[in-house]
Amino acid sequence: MKQFLLIIGSRMLQLIIMVLVLSFITFLLMKITPGDPIRTMLNVEDMAATKADEERLMKEYKFDRPILEQYGEWVIGVLQLDLGESLISKRPVLDMILEKLPATLSLSIGGLVVLFIIAVPMGVLGAVYEGRWPDYLSRWTALTGASIPSFWLGIMLIYVFSVQLNLLPVMGKATLAHFILPSVTLGVAMAPLYIRLLRERLIATLQSSYIEAAKARGLGKKRILFSHALRGSLIPLVTMFGLSIGGLLGGVTVIEILFSWPGMGELIVNAVMSRDYPVIQGYILIIGFLVVVSNLVVDIMYVIINPQLYNGKESM
Amino acid sequence: MKNKKTIAGLLLALLLIITACNNEAGTEEEEKDQSTSEDKSLTMLYSFASKTIDPHQDWMGVRAGIAETLVKIEENLEIQPWLAESWEQKDETTWVFTLRDDVTFHDGSTMDGEAVKASFERAIEVNEALDSALKIDKMEADGQQITFKTTEEYPAFLSELVHTNASIIKTDAENIGEKPIATGAFQVESFSSEEAIKLKKYPRYWDGEANLDHVTIKFNSDGNVRALALQSGEADIAYHLPPESLKPIESHNDLRVESVASLRVHFFLYNSAKPELQDVKVRQALDLLVNRPVAVEEIMNGHATAASGPFNPDFKFASEKEPAAYDPAKAEMLLREAGYEKNADGKLEKDGKQLELTLATYEGRPELPMMAQYFQSEAANLGIKVNVVTVENIDSYLWEQQQEWDLVTYSNLTAPRGDGGYFLNVSYLPDGSLNPGQINIPEVNNLTKQLNKEADLEKRIDLQKRAVEIVQEEVSQSFILHPHIIVGVNQRVKNWKPGSEEYYLITNEMDVE
Repeated sequence: MKQFLLIIGSRMLQLIIMVLVLSFITFLLMKITPGDPIRTMLNVEDMAATKADEERLMKEYKFDRPILEQYGEWVIGVLQLDLGESLISKRPVLDMILEKLPATLSLSIGGLVVLFIIAVPMGVLGAVYEGRWPDYLSRWTALTGASIPSFWLGIMLIYVFSVQLNLLPVMGKATLAHFILPSVTLGVAMAPLYIRLLRERLIATLQSSYIEAAKARGLGKKRILFSHALRGSLIPLVTMFGLSIGGLLGGVTVIEILFSWPGMGELIVNAVMSRDYPVIQGYILIIGFLVVVSNLVVDIMYVIINPQLYNGKESM
Repeated sequence: MKNKKTIAGLLLALLLIITACNNEAGTEEEEKDQSTSEDKSLTMLYSFASKTIDPHQDWMGVRAGIAETLVKIEENLEIQPWLAESWEQKDETTWVFTLRDDVTFHDGSTMDGEAVKASFERAIEVNEALDSALKIDKMEADGQQITFKTTEEYPAFLSELVHTNASIIKTDAENIGEKPIATGAFQVESFSSEEAIKLKKYPRYWDGEANLDHVTIKFNSDGNVRALALQSGEADIAYHLPPESLKPIESHNDLRVESVASLRVHFFLYNSAKPELQDVKVRQALDLLVNRPVAVEEIMNGHATAASGPFNPDFKFASEKEPAAYDPAKAEMLLREAGYEKNADGKLEKDGKQLELTLATYEGRPELPMMAQYFQSEAANLGIKVNVVTVENIDSYLWEQQQEWDLVTYSNLTAPRGDGGYFLNVSYLPDGSLNPGQINIPEVNNLTKQLNKEADLEKRIDLQKRAVEIVQEEVSQSFILHPHIIVGVNQRVKNWKPGSEEYYLITNEMDVE
């Protein structure tokens, strides 16, 4: 228990430092890349504005102040749990993000389910039939999955399942059926790494001494594979998962936009395009927080999956 | 043996999951079919997602048929009465509008002068751009009349009222961002930000109850996906389709493609600060190298109209001149007159200096880089070296690096509210927000300033035409084409076609079979 508290305590500290560094870097990058939200705010694309109007707004929103001062103001706001308002829609940033977050998370979970459905059988096939056709099948699946860009796969899936077969809906999030195409697109994009990793680990584990011992005890092949070997091989996958959460949340964006999934994708892309600083900063903050928290969960999972880490106690 | 069973088991499990999901999809489809047989409904797909549908901040209020403005632009692009029945300009700064007396808001209350006044007060408070565009000083309401006083002499006031954000809503409604209460043929059933708007008809609509009972507008920013959704039947109307996605739609029996010239123009903007480009002969020569038929047919797949000036040719104030013909021989002659000779390498030079130009472009509109490339090869044939640079954020590049570029592929809405004054002000006056090329033609400036004080419609048209003529002579830009708005439509949709203005997407007249 004490160990848990220690882990959580140190992670919280890590979280604060990381989010500060991360948010400062993004703030700096946004400010030094060309462009500002003023022209979007003034709607110059269709309404008459002059250079003088632009300068007035620049002053009003303090964009002419030193970067450190602007960043400082944002941090002070965050410390008071105030992420500010969107410069474009004038809504509180926190509301905008929290409204979209559940959809992004649910699609991520859908992707993970598909990932699991693809990666575990394929990884197991590759390891158990090492060097034979199921291994090649597994290898080719991984290779194909890794080389297909997800926006293309998404469009192809829509073409086959929605236009040709008329089985699944193209866009939106109304029913469970709406989950399938985006989840598959996401899962297929992530699966290759896990297929290969699981295969390698499983092959190594199957040759280890405790598996030999289990065989000697006369345990059935299936039992050895699923209750001993597979469990031991999952640890590196969990590690990998912890590391790739950031990538997952980034990859979801493309898929969300493709399938009009009402998550944070459209929100953040528009915010970046129009340089809506408070929204971008808020997004970074929330995503940073999620990555750290999920890594914490991964650490806890280690202990559950690997009894060896569990202080010598036998089972749970 | 056992291993094979395991594999078989896993495959079976996969299959079960897939079929389970398919069943789900099947029942959903059936439900959808049932609901459409009871009442008339339609789904439209649009490309730009709305974060809010507050009509004072987002265009969807008017586009979706929820809210309406005092005046609108009609099919012939002229300003027409809408919620206002008539108007009169009393003096230089005073406008009196008489409102229709048969209009009710979606909550049943009557639209009168007070309601309109409250709506404008809110609009200019929440929308900075609208505030500076309308220049309203004071308002007075009296029964069905409303009087506006502008801060300065402002004849363009009437056309500025066409702006969708100047629409009339009920200001004391709660939650205007999601459920605005206004006067349109449709009221909001539900709205989820950046995803969809569900509408139902407002039975007491003043201009006749809508033919459709329900309309859904969904957003998707991927053009190919929009085209596929139309083909799958998930959408009845899909806006802004990429030209390369049209073949299967054109050949489909149940679908059709509508294409209408937009109020936008694609053009090359010349940097007037550059010495080479200050010579009008050089600009004229470059203009002759623009191959408009190729741009229209090859780059836009025919979905564009060649341009001779900034304004959509349907406008009364647009240029009636034919677009300039592609003529490299004449271009070469003009360049020679300007003092350029071919050197030993076949490159044009003057006073020992080669003619080398930087052409900036951006990917936001995919056809623009293609036009830049095509122009580059045309110029190379003549011995002009054009360096194409693609930049991420075109506006900040043009303003912040004014010394770098010579010409740029640019695209603007030129008369979004049925009056060219907007474009003349922002693109030609020295402090205009769309004038990074520092165009400064005294005659055009004078005409624009006269226009800003001219209330008479015929005289306004004349002034705008004269300004366009001078711009054409000066070749401060090479206008290339007006891109079309390309919309895929299911044949079951009746009484509907897209308009150039793209403001009135959902109407009470549209219907389905």
